[in-house]
Amino acid sequence: MAEVQILGLFHEATPTADTIGILRQLGVPDEKITVMSGIPYRPEMLGRPRPRRRVALISLIGAGLGLLTGLFLTFGIFLLYPLEQGGQPITPIPPTLIILFETIMLGTMWAAFFGLLGENRFPVFKSQLYDPRITEGHIGVLAEVEAALADQVESILKDNGAHHLRRETSSPRRTDVRLTAFWATVAGAVVLLGAVTLLIAYDVLKIRFPTNMAEQDSTAYLQGPRRSAPAEAIPIQGPVLIDGQPASEPVPASAESVQRGKELFSITCAVCHGPAGDGNSPLSGFFTPRPVDLTSTPIQDLTDSEIYLVITQGRGGMPNMAENLGPAERWDVINYVRTLAK
Amino acid sequence: METTHDVPIWRRPPPEDTELSHQLEHERRQHLLLDPRYPLDIDGGVLKPMYRHTWRFWLVTALLAGLVLLFGAIWTTQMILGLGITGLNRPVMWALYIVNFVYFIGIGHAGTFISAALRVLKIEWRRPISRAAETLTVFALIAAAMFPVVHVGRAWKAYWLLPIPTQREIWPSYHSPLIWDFTAIFTYLTCSILFAYIGLLPDLAMARDHTIGWRHRLYEVLALGWRGTEREWANQETALNVFSYAIIPVMFSVHTIVSWDFAMAVQPGWHSTVFGPYFVIGALFSGAGAVIMALVLIRKAMHLEYFLRDEHFDGMGKFLLLLSLTWAYFYFNDYLVPWYGQEPVEKVLHQLLATGSAAPLWFLMIFCNVVLPWTTLWSRRVRTSIPAIFTISVLIQVGMYLERYIIIPVTLGRNEFPYSWGVYLPNWPESLITVGAFALIGLLYVLFSRIFPMIPVWEVYEGQVLQGLRRIGRALVPTKAEPGD
Ligand code: HEC
Repeated sequence: MAEVQILGLFHEATPTADTIGILRQLGVPDEKITVMSGIPYRPEMLGRPRPRRRVALISLIGAGLGLLTGLFLTFGIFLLYPLEQGGQPITPIPPTLIILFETIMLGTMWAAFFGLLGENRFPVFKSQLYDPRITEGHIGVLAEVEAALADQVESILKDNGAHHLRRETSSPRRTDVRLTAFWATVAGAVVLLGAVTLLIAYDVLKIRFPTNMAEQDSTAYLQGPRRSAPAEAIPIQGPVLIDGQPASEPVPASAESVQRGKELFSITCAVCHGPAGDGNSPLSGFFTPRPVDLTSTPIQDLTDSEIYLVITQGRGGMPNMAENLGPAERWDVINYVRTLAK
Repeated sequence: METTHDVPIWRRPPPEDTELSHQLEHERRQHLLLDPRYPLDIDGGVLKPMYRHTWRFWLVTALLAGLVLLFGAIWTTQMILGLGITGLNRPVMWALYIVNFVYFIGIGHAGTFISAALRVLKIEWRRPISRAAETLTVFALIAAAMFPVVHVGRAWKAYWLLPIPTQREIWPSYHSPLIWDFTAIFTYLTCSILFAYIGLLPDLAMARDHTIGWRHRLYEVLALGWRGTEREWANQETALNVFSYAIIPVMFSVHTIVSWDFAMAVQPGWHSTVFGPYFVIGALFSGAGAVIMALVLIRKAMHLEYFLRDEHFDGMGKFLLLLSLTWAYFYFNDYLVPWYGQEPVEKVLHQLLATGSAAPLWFLMIFCNVVLPWTTLWSRRVRTSIPAIFTISVLIQVGMYLERYIIIPVTLGRNEFPYSWGVYLPNWPESLITVGAFALIGLLYVLFSRIFPMIPVWEVYEGQVLQGLRRIGRALVPTKAEPGD
């Protein structure tokens, strides 16, 4: 038998609750009654069973997913793609905790939002029995009853103070085209966005940005406001190599010096030249020419002072490291590089 | 007071006793929640101003839009010519852009605090102001999130922050505070938007029911089919509760992490353990001031006098005073250890602020953040005077902006090596970009206020239904029904 939906509007909570009581006595089950209101009334106020609440549970699941995401970002990725960073552990705990906190919270709240959508079956595009006066403070009682009972229910609503009535025959469930279109659009947008990001990230789509950054109007390295040099001064740019003399006071290659050098090497050189100094690091592919193999004979044949100058001034694609290493530290590194000889 | 239960609250007759009836009049003038009106009038009071497009509105919009375009133009110029066109130079490589970043993130704290914390604490006067505050949070965060990108110069490399696989096979390093920043701000921004949206749903339905044309279609889609069924309300309440409890610690984490951008560096004046809580309080302080400014402006521009009353400015004013006291306490703590420690470089910094070239900035900051609020805000007359509280809020913005300015470029000018001391002066590009960022927030706010209801109508209704007056002896006393959990 066809079902009929009847919607009545009430002014206040008390008559609404009374009417619901009468409908229940008539044999209309609770799940066939829907109450709509412009403000949240408690179920007790209207004599209604408490609706199922699962959003909190869903957000808990979201928290778990957030935790897993965080663990993957902080531990997983770095175990998969280790990148040596100056003797620090690859997966240090304190920063990991910060990231975990944020991803857990992100998961919790996003899940609460999507839980809200899912539990309410949002979005709804098909027409539903409703009355715009509900957002003006009226309370709507919607009863779904069999056609035979319809007239009786209507008069109960009216007698108890319902001032507007609407009746509609329930239509059998149809798939809603607009809803499908909506979710298809959302999915399409996500896929498109992801694809474009990855295409750019993988340099498939190369965007050439115009930039004159290299020639910008700025003050050069370490050039501050300073007094001009005396007229008789000889202009030089940084340290130079004078034949037969060390570039600065060398540090003897003691075991301590080599040990210090090893540590400094892992902090300042290993990112490019690789932890083993053989020129293999995740970054080396991005340099032409590649960072040299420091264990190779041509490099080991360089004098200490030449390596000292390379560290101090840089060479080609290699930046100068004068800011990172003091003169004595540079010698420590050189002493360590010497131990790398094959 | 006797009420008949089947008469709607806005139609209940006043008591017959004239004295009680006067008291009722008085309470109604004071409290929005005790002054129920016919709901259609309330809906109208929120919806009608959205249609008001006076010449003033267009003038303001055009002005703000112009400044935003200028922002875009200068940013493009800076990308092409390089950061050298700004005043940045050694040793001050962090300056106005980072000041803006910290300042706008700070503004973004008050909104959440007001709508989440006051919601959890069930403070009733928050009801009409939560939307205006949440909106400010979202827009301030958007502006703030742009600044690190402006600051790094090569903005098109911003996607390096995202943990996505790339041809470089290098992932963002979670050792770096800047990645903590990114993660925290991403969480905070997206969740603030969702939080505001969930609270907006019933109002979008209200707007849908009372509009026609493109607005109707827009609200119809955005309201997602909201009808206000019991299930919808119950789920919405749970979701709002989850958000309120979860977003407060996130808010604390965001500004703590912003402070760690500084505190993790071995720069004198920055390397301080108290920076985290101190920044959080500063953020709330400037944010609360900004919310007051926003409330005053929308109240005036959109004629929301019915909704935004003395009680709201009074409450916000007390909040501001409390935050000023707390801020001063943390600020003092931040000085105490270096002062006692007497490190030479810290002494240099203190002298720079107390008697040196930065002294005018420092004293102006102390005036705006401490002297002014402490001497005025204890008075209810000042708190409820709109011009007074607005002026105080503006000056607090000045003070808090100066505070960040002192922490960043002024402090960076001094370090352990006197040979590399320097002074930073803002150049025109970063100055105009700063102006443009303020304009951007203003523009977004103005446009938003014409499209979305700025007062959470359903929260006001709910409050009006739950609040009432109870007669105790000769007096009518406001009471609140607090049903269930
Ligand atoms: C940013 C990456 C990078 C870092 C860090 C780096 N190098 Fe290099 N290095 C290179 C590249 C690239 C080359 C090849 C330069 C060329 O020939 O154009 C190179 C070349 C060299 C050479 C050979 C120079 C020559 O005369 O051919 C030496 C020696 C060297 N590096 C030592 C070091 C030491 C020691 C450190 C640590 C203090 C270091 N490098 C840090 C990238 C780096």
